Order: sequence, then structure tokens, then C-alpha cells
Amino acid sequence: MTTLAGQARDALAAYEALASLAEAIEDEWTYVTDLYATWRERIEELIDERGSEPVTTLEEAAIRRAVDEIGRISDPHRAIDWLSTFPQIVLVTLGERS
Amino acid sequence: MRFQDAAQDARAITYAAIQAEPVVARAAGLLADATPAQRVLARAVMNGETLDPEGWRTIFPTLFGPNVAPSARERSEAILAVSLAIADRGDQTRNQLRGALVEALTVELLGRRVGPAAVHRERRILFDGVPAEIHPYDVTVERSGAAEAYDCKWGARGIDADVLNQLDDARANAETEEEPLRVALVVFDAELSCRVRLERQTAVHDRTGLVTLESLGSLSS
Repeated sequence: MTTLAGQARDALAAYEALASLAEAIEDEWTYVTDLYATWRERIEELIDERGSEPVTTLEEAAIRRAVDEIGRISDPHRAIDWLSTFPQIVLVTLGERS
Repeated sequence: MRFQDAAQDARAITYAAIQAEPVVARAAGLLADATPAQRVLARAVMNGETLDPEGWRTIFPTLFGPNVAPSARERSEAILAVSLAIADRGDQTRNQLRGALVEALTVELLGRRVGPAAVHRERRILFDGVPAEIHPYDVTVERSGAAEAYDCKWGARGIDADVLNQLDDARANAETEEEPLRVALVVFDAELSCRVRLERQTAVHDRTGLVTLESLGSLSS
């Protein structure tokens, strides 16, 4: 059974790579590291609260596709845009499901 | 305190053309009544990665899944289509369109509360004995005794000291003239990201409002 915790941890691993890419913008290093830490904490809270719940195949496919999407990013400026957007997608998919 | 149109320089003329693109008004109209999740969809698509609509439908099962009501799905499809139209532009134009969209959305929502006639774009605010700011305010509400000024940003990263100082200076100057002036940032991004950005800013912003992707509805109510 695929659990919410498993999906969220996959998302966090991809998110860490995205943050590493964004850190290349030296002027935004502090913002990038703070943003990464804050959103990671938010997703870890979700894991603590509901990590054992099963996820549907649709949700699993959604996270996999979103992870693929950020995996294609090579521009660090665009990575910063996604550093805020990606965790919102994860929370919309896993955190706000009915 | 008085308001004045910004100078019609080359930047203003170029930007006016961007603001006038039909896709901007179409997107603003749809997003004004969107749910927070639909706004996240728009933000993700307009960040500019895949242009494959099926990919986005996969990423957002809460908007496009089989259990979604037809009317909600129809709106999500319309938001996806208009977001892809903006994403499909070159980097520079896309960035300009996104900025124009946040302004148009702000204008649309404020107009619902105060009436369209009171809402203006690209205006300078003048105070007696104070040199005028070079940059105009993105959106203003011009009503006697209840004026408002907004700076609009696509993302939290756009928040910086210049923007915060300009807003707070206007508020403080208005206070000196005993005129109330509400100032706020409108950011098409998550509140959490904006708070992270603001936490590191030393410019005064304790009396500057913050309207984010989750709270856009507050502009109209």
C-alpha cells in the first residue's frame, strides 16, 4: 500500500534537489534556504498528522508527475519560482483531498 | 494628498500594451472567482514548464479528477487554457503578462467593493512639500477619506525594500496630512512564502497589508 508519508517523502527528496539548484543565485541564498526549510517543515507536519493514510492511484500519479516536472528545471531563477509553487501543489493534492 | 497619472514614458507605453492584451482580462476574470487550488494551478502553469494540458490535469486530481463537479471542472479547464496561453509566450513577455494579470485581478476585485470608477492604475500619489516618487503605484482606490494604494507582485521574491519603503512612505505622508491611506501588497503566491520573504526585510512594513493567493477575496469584501 502506498501511503501519504511515502508520497510526501518522495516529494521532499525532489524538493531538496530543487532547492540545491536555486541556491546558485547567491543574492537569494538566504531566502532560498529559509523558504526550503519552512515548506519542508509544513510537509513534515502533514506526514506527522496523516502519514499512515493510503493514497489513491490518482494522487500517486499526481505527485510523480509533479516531481518529474520540477526534475526538468535547469534554470535556478525558475527553480526559485517553483520552490514556492511545488509544495503548494503537494498540499493541494495530499493535504486538501476530500 | 492627491493622485496623478504617471508620466507616459517608453516603459509606460510598452506596459500599457501588455495590460491591454485580451488574455490578461480573461485570466483576471476567471481567477477573481477561482478557488485557492485553482489559483495554485494557474500559478504553476504560468511558472512556465510543460505546455501539455494532460500533464497538468494529472498533477491536479482535486480539480480534474472523476469526482469533481462538472461546473468546477469547467472553470478549472478554462483557467488551465488561459494559463497555458500565457505560459506559451517567451520568458520576458510571460513575466510582463503575469505582472499585468496580478494588477488586473486586483482591479477587478477592488472594483466589486468600491465600484470600478474609484479604481485606477499606474498613479502617483503627491503630498505637499514631499518630492514625488518616480515609480507609480500599481493600483489605487481614490475615495475621499478612504484611499488605498497597492503594489502587485507575481511572487514573494518580488517583495523588496524599495517596494516596502514606497508603500510605507505613502502611508506615513498621508498620516501627516491626516488623510487615511490603506497600503498593501498583493502577491499571487502563498502567504507562507511571503511571510518568509518579509521576515528578512528590514524596511518598515508593520502597517502594510498583505493579500496573498489565499486571501485575494478580501479585496472585494
